Amino acid sequence: MSKTSSQAVMEPIDRYLQAVAFWLPKGQQRDIIAELSEDLHSQIEEREAELGRSLNETEIEAVLKQRGRPVLVANRYLPQRSLIGPVLFPIYWFVVKVVALCYLVPWVLVWIGMMTFSSSYRAEHTRAGWFSAIVSGWSALWFTAFVTLGAVTIVFVVLEHLEIKSRFLENWNPGKLPPVRNPNQIPQSGSLIEVVVNMAFGVWWIDIMSSPVILDRPEIKIVLSPVWRYLFWGFLLLAVINAAAAGVNLARPYWTVVRASIRLLTNGAASALFCWMLNAGALAQITGAGLTGARALEVTNAVNAGLAKTLPLVLAAGVVIAIVDVRRILRVKNAVPVPLNVKVSAAVV
Amino acid sequence: MTNGTKIGPEILENLKMELRRGCLIVAVLAQLRTEQYGYTLRKALADDGLAIDEGTLYPLLRRLETQGLLVSQWREEEKRNKRFYRLSLAGQQILSQLLAEWQNINSSLSKILEEAPL
Repeated sequence: MSKTSSQAVMEPIDRYLQAVAFWLPKGQQRDIIAELSEDLHSQIEEREAELGRSLNETEIEAVLKQRGRPVLVANRYLPQRSLIGPVLFPIYWFVVKVVALCYLVPWVLVWIGMMTFSSSYRAEHTRAGWFSAIVSGWSALWFTAFVTLGAVTIVFVVLEHLEIKSRFLENWNPGKLPPVRNPNQIPQSGSLIEVVVNMAFGVWWIDIMSSPVILDRPEIKIVLSPVWRYLFWGFLLLAVINAAAAGVNLARPYWTVVRASIRLLTNGAASALFCWMLNAGALAQITGAGLTGARALEVTNAVNAGLAKTLPLVLAAGVVIAIVDVRRILRVKNAVPVPLNVKVSAAVV
Repeated sequence: MTNGTKIGPEILENLKMELRRGCLIVAVLAQLRTEQYGYTLRKALADDGLAIDEGTLYPLLRRLETQGLLVSQWREEEKRNKRFYRLSLAGQQILSQLLAEWQNINSSLSKILEEAPL
C-alpha cells in the first residue's frame, strides 16, 4: 500500500519528535514535544505557502536536518550537568597529570627496565613469546591506569557533590596563597644543604670507603672487588663537583644554562656509576668466622645478584632525573626576561 | 597589540554569540510585552534583526517561565494548539531593571569609545 502525501509528510516529523522525546525527562516530554511539533508545522506551512505547494519528503527531511540531531535538540532543554564541574575540573586535571607522571610513567619505565635487565623476570614473562609479554604488560598498564584514574575520578565526583552542597571551595584565605615563585631561582637553603651533605659524604667516603676492605672484624670481613677503585674516585669526584656547584648556587641563586648543564652531566655520571656498581658485582668477598668457603661464596653471589636486581629501578630513576634536568635546561634557555623587581644579576648565562 | 596571528572566523562567531546571549534575553522579554506564541516570536525577533534558532528560543522560554518572568497558556488557534507566552508582573519589573542596566552599559561603552576611538 502506497503512502498518501499527508502520511509521507507526517511520518518523518513524527519519527523526529519521537527521537527527541526519547532523551527528554518523562514529566516534560508531552509539553516540549507539543510545542516543538507546533513550531515545525508552522515552519512547514509557511514554506508551503511561499512555494504554493506541499513539501515533499526530501524537503521535510532538510527542515529536520536543519533543526539538528534529536539528542542535541533534547539536550538544550535539560539542565547543564557534569560529573566534575568547571570549578573542580582544573584541580582534577592537575591530579590526573600528577598521577600519570608519578605513578604510570615510572610503572612503564620499571617494566621496561625489568624486561631489559632482569633475566629472571624476562624469562618468566616471555615464556609464551615476546608478543604475549608485550600484550600482557600493556593489559596490566591499562588495568592499573583504569583503576588509578577511575579512583581519582570517583573521588572528584564525590567532591563535586560536596562542593555543590557546602560550597567549601568558596572559603579561602588570600593570605595563605603560596609566595611568588621563580622557577629558575635556586632555594639557598637547598644549596646550603647540598654543600653540607656533599662535604660530609666526601669525608665519610674517604674515611670508610677508600680501602677495598670496608669491614674487617674478627667475626666478619667484607672486601670489595678491584672495580671499586674506579667507583671510589668517580663518586668522590662527583661529590666534590656537586659541593662546588652548590657553593656557586648559594652565592648566585639562579639557574643558568651552564650550571643546569653541569647538573645534568653530574646526575648522569652518578646514575651511570651507580648502574655500573650494581652490575659489576662490587662485592668481591664476604668471610666470617662461622662461614665455610662455599657458603661465603654463596652469600657474596647472592648479595651481588640482589644488587643487580635493583638495576632497573636505579635506571628508571636516572631517566626521570635526566628528564627533569633537561627540562630545567630548556626552561632556563627559554626564560622570559626577569621582572625588574627580582634581584638577579645573571639569570641566563 | 597583535603579533600578526590571523584570528579565525570561529573566534569572532563565539564572541558575537557571547555578546548576543544576554541581549537576546532582554529582547525576548521586551517582545513578550505583547502575547505571542513561539513561532511568531521567533519571526518577530528575526524581522527586527535578532534571529534566534528554535533550539535556543524554546529552552530559553521554558527557563524564563520557570523563573517566573513569563506566563504561558495553551490555546487553540487556526485549528492547532499553540502555547502563548507573555511577560508576567515580575517579568515586567525585571525587564525595566535590565533595560536600565543595558542603558548603563551602553553609556559606559560609549564613554570608553569616546575616550579612545577605534
